[in-house]
Parts: sequence; structure tokens; C-alpha cells
Amino acid sequence: MQQRKIRMLTAVGGVLAGMMLLGASAAQADATGPMLANTCAGCHGTNGISAGPAMPTIAGMPAKYLKAVMADFASGKRPSTIMGRLAKGYSEAEIALIADEFAKQKWQNAKSGPQSKMATAVNAKLAKEGEKATKGAKCDKCHEDNGVFQDDDTPRVAGQWLDYLRFKVQDLKNPELKVPQAEKMKTGIDKLSAEQLEAVAHFYASQK
Amino acid sequence: MTNLTRRSFIKLSSGVAAVSLTSSFGVPAIAGEAKQKVVVVGGGYGGAVVAKYIRMADPKVQVTLVEKNADYYSCPLSNWVVAGFRDMALQKWNYEGLKKHGVEVVIDEVTAIDPAGKSVATAGGKKLAYDALVVAPGVDFKDFPGYDAEAQKKIVHAWKAGPDTVTLAKQIAAMQDGDTFILVAPADPYRCPPGPYERASLVAHYLKKNKPKSKLLILDAKPKFSKQGLFQEGWTQLYGFGSDNSIIKWVSGAEGGKVVRVDAKEMAVYTDNNGFEEKHVGACINFIPPNTAGKIAIAAGLTNESGWCPVHLNTFESKQHKGIFVVGDSSASGGMPKSGYAANSQAKVVAAAIVARLNGKEPGEPSYVNTCYSMLSPDYGISVAAVWKYDPATPDKVKEISSGVSPSKAPDFIRKQEALYNESWYQSIMADTFS
Repeated sequence: MQQRKIRMLTAVGGVLAGMMLLGASAAQADATGPMLANTCAGCHGTNGISAGPAMPTIAGMPAKYLKAVMADFASGKRPSTIMGRLAKGYSEAEIALIADEFAKQKWQNAKSGPQSKMATAVNAKLAKEGEKATKGAKCDKCHEDNGVFQDDDTPRVAGQWLDYLRFKVQDLKNPELKVPQAEKMKTGIDKLSAEQLEAVAHFYASQK
Repeated sequence: MTNLTRRSFIKLSSGVAAVSLTSSFGVPAIAGEAKQKVVVVGGGYGGAVVAKYIRMADPKVQVTLVEKNADYYSCPLSNWVVAGFRDMALQKWNYEGLKKHGVEVVIDEVTAIDPAGKSVATAGGKKLAYDALVVAPGVDFKDFPGYDAEAQKKIVHAWKAGPDTVTLAKQIAAMQDGDTFILVAPADPYRCPPGPYERASLVAHYLKKNKPKSKLLILDAKPKFSKQGLFQEGWTQLYGFGSDNSIIKWVSGAEGGKVVRVDAKEMAVYTDNNGFEEKHVGACINFIPPNTAGKIAIAAGLTNESGWCPVHLNTFESKQHKGIFVVGDSSASGGMPKSGYAANSQAKVVAAAIVARLNGKEPGEPSYVNTCYSMLSPDYGISVAAVWKYDPATPDKVKEISSGVSPSKAPDFIRKQEALYNESWYQSIMADTFS
């Protein structure tokens, strides 16, 4: 546990200072947490419960984790398609309000709607292989309880959307992207092949 | 006079101490006391979201949504249907989810709005009273020379998703190899700025695969268009744009692309080329007429000379009629595009403003976002995203805090990811709207 506390995903101080310059002027009052967070729902779902297979559910994630991720999106440290462009649109205070709002919501495992035909289905055989791979690479040292565990540095991955997890593990393996990750996680990822990482995604997606 | 003051007045006149009134909000309405009523006209990306989010924020408010059609067909992703790689059934939604939030759904058409009497009348003979009214009818189309009801049977616009979407898909499928497809893009402003170019891209994808000798001609009233650089880069990569063999040809308004009349009998459109009419014949023509605010918004006197509804950009309350809020495509939204996501974002501002007002409070600061994906092929997506605030210093324009489009020359896997994000965007925003 002590180790977890000192494990830092990224240093965010400089980024946040930069974002403050972009944010609201002092004369302007901030919008409320729900007002700001509700604008995210078009992609991340009502109250952060995503209905889209490639969009992560963010409901109930720790506020500190969400804040760090947003800061990394804004600085470009964490590669993204649109999140960088959006994250730059908020002050540090606004991001804190957004993060607190989603942290208050209740997590729900990914569940495909009847209109979704593009979601990748969880493959039970792959999930089994993935489970083995997580042990070998010691993923469970941080992503405890088969990925249910979360803390300030660790997002819940159990029951997350499979396509989102597949994208993320592909990104982690992509040298062009340089996704920020804890040193220990990098060591684990390096041990796994692309196929094993795909299986890991299936494993965590299969968990509830 | 707001309901709050009216209610206070009634209570005061019947001898209840004023001090108890201020605390009476937030507790269940006392027996016999009328509930606050909100009527929402139109159940699309804007209206349905206002209805749901009012109920989520304040279940004491009675919300009635009046919508003409029992089934809703989404415009976003309907270009996939046009190009033959998506089933129309996946575009179809209904209002059962909203009923679970306690929204009363009335399938009927609002024919008149009485801002002074605070009521709406429907084709079905209903009269609905309101304390706050939301008008979210989407767009309608201006009359255009030669594009009458008869012509519209042969040449569809399919700029509202529904039966015409399928008709256009069938017309494209029936083209012979070597036939020309003409797409006529409207002048600004109109619903979904990148939409005509996404449609052109996806039809070009279909032609490349199925009718490689066919060409696609875009006749445009405008000198430039949304995400133009990215579209043209993708067209060059995918469809030989700029070369002699290009599937797509785009003619700007300045270069003779401005269509002045339609002739459905000849299957032709005529452009104005420096004062001379030029005839363009297509085996299939997709004519998107100039857009205007929804007819009910015009009839209710909510529009001004621009053809759109001026609103206060901090609440989207009409500048013409107090107590009426105009959401989505019909509004003059101060620089936000007429997109589904912008309508969704505006709807949440309106829901919060109405709930505040009905509870005797001033609406808070709004926040607006747009994210919008376009497809150039089934594996090639691009996006635009922006965040805006209200700035009292520029009351007619929202203040852009950040914005941007997908990077130029991005690797293929990024384009593919954005294509998949597009479909996920659709699932989430539809769930946010209808579940």
C-alpha cells in the first residue's frame, strides 16, 4: 500500500499552472459541477456511464485520478484524439469540479444496448489467457481484485468497455504514442506481446 | 410574473406567513397546488434532452414533450445508411426511455403557440398550458425554384433522417456504372456543417467499390466548408481528389457552383456561372435546400430577419418572447454549429435555467461543448471539438475557450480509431437523449 501512494503516474504541476492562464477570468463565475460535467455526457454517457464501446465509463473513478488524466490530456503528455482539444478548454478549478462530479457517481459495468452492433464481444477463451498473462506480468499488483480496485493512481478496469481497453493496450504498445505510465506498469507491458495484451483487455472486460 | 411570485401572492393573500414561503420550495407540493409545467416542442437531440434533464434535476416539475413522430430517426450516422453500409433500423429510437424519467410524451403536432396566454395548441385538438416552453423543432427548408412537392418525389434532400434516407440509398444503389451523382450543398448556416461533405465522401466510397466509372459532383453555394482541409486531404488519399481520375469534384460558389433552380423532369440542376445558366444532369441528384428555423418557431414569432431565433446565449431564452427557450438548430446560437452535440449541450443549459427559474433562482453560468465526427470511409474518421463560455462582453457570440480538428497527416490507426469513436459517440449521445 505504501508503495502505491508514492507511485506517481505523472507530474502535473507545470501543466496545471499553464491551464490556469487559459481558464476563466477572475470576473467570471464558474459554472457548477453538474453543468460542466453534463457536457461530457454526449460521449461518456449520462452521469459518466458510457453506452459506447470505445468510450470509457468514468463514473465513480477517483477525482484525483480524473484530474491527473485531464491535465495530461491538456498538456499533450497523454496522447488523445479529441480529449486534448477539450481538456484545454477548462481551468484547474473547473477540472476539479468535473472530476468531483464524476467521482460522486456510481460505477456500472459496460452493457451493450440493442442498437450497438459494432462492439467487440468478450471472448471467454481469450479472457482466460488474459488472466494468466496478468499474473505473469504482475498487473494484479496494482489492478487488484481482478481490476475492480481503484485508487488515486489506478483506474478501475474491471467491467470497462472492451473496445476502449483494446485501444488503450494497443496505444501502450505503440512506440509512436509514448503513453505516460508508471515505471512498474511499463515493465509489465514490456513483458507482454500484443496478443497477450489483447487477451488482458478481454480478461478485465469480462470481470464485474 | 413568474410562477413563484404568483404562488407566493396566493399564499400571502390567504394569510400564510411570508417567512414560511421561502422554505416551501424543495418540499412536496401541498395538496391542490398546481405543479409547475414545462412543455417541450420537438423530441430530437435538443428537446428530448431538455425534458430528461429537467426531470433528473427536479422531479417536482411536470414535463410534457410533444413530438410529431412516434419513432425518431437520427441524422448523425444516417450518411452511413445512404452509402449502403448501415441498417436504417440502427438509426431508430423511441420515447419509452423518457417516460421512465416521468416525462409525459404526447405524439401530436404543435400548430400554434400563444406566448401571452402561455399555452400551445396541437393538431389533435389539445391545449397545453405551460410555465416555461421549450421550442426545439430542428430545421425546415426554404422554398426553392423548381423544388416543389412533385420534384421532391424524384429528388430528395434526406436532410432529416427518415424514409428519404432510405430512398436516397436505393437511388444510389440503382445507379449504373458511369452515372453521375450530384450533391447540392446549401449556403450557411445550415444543419450539420460537415454533413454534405461526409455524405459525398461515403457515396464516393460506395462508387469506388461498386461503380468505379461513376463520378460525384458537389455543387456548392459556399466558397469554403467545414473541415475542408481534412476532407480534401482524405479525398486525395482515398478518392484521387485533385487528379484527372478523381471521383469527387467540388465546385465552389465563386467558381459556378451556386445552384439557382432545380428541374426534376430533366434530372438537372442549373447553376449561375457569371450570369449564365449552366445545366448539370445527374442520374441521381441529392439537393439540400437552404435551411431555416422550424416552421412552428417562425409561426410563433420567435425568428427575426435572419430566419433563425435570437436567444440570450446564457440561457437560450428567446429574445422575442420571455419564458420561451429555443434549443438546437432553430436557434441563432452565437457561433456554435447546428450540430446534435451542440443541441445536447444547449439543452442542458436550458434545463438548468428553467429549473432555476421555476425555483425562484437566477440561472447559473452556462458551459457549452461540441464534439462532432465525420467519416471519409468506413475506416476513416475525423473530428472537431470545442468548448465555449458565455461572455457578457460579447452577448451575441459565445466565447471559444478551446477548439480544434483532427491533425493533418495522422497515421491510419488514428483515422480508424476516430471512426470507431464516432459509432461510440453515437451510442452514448443516443443513450443520453433517449434512455
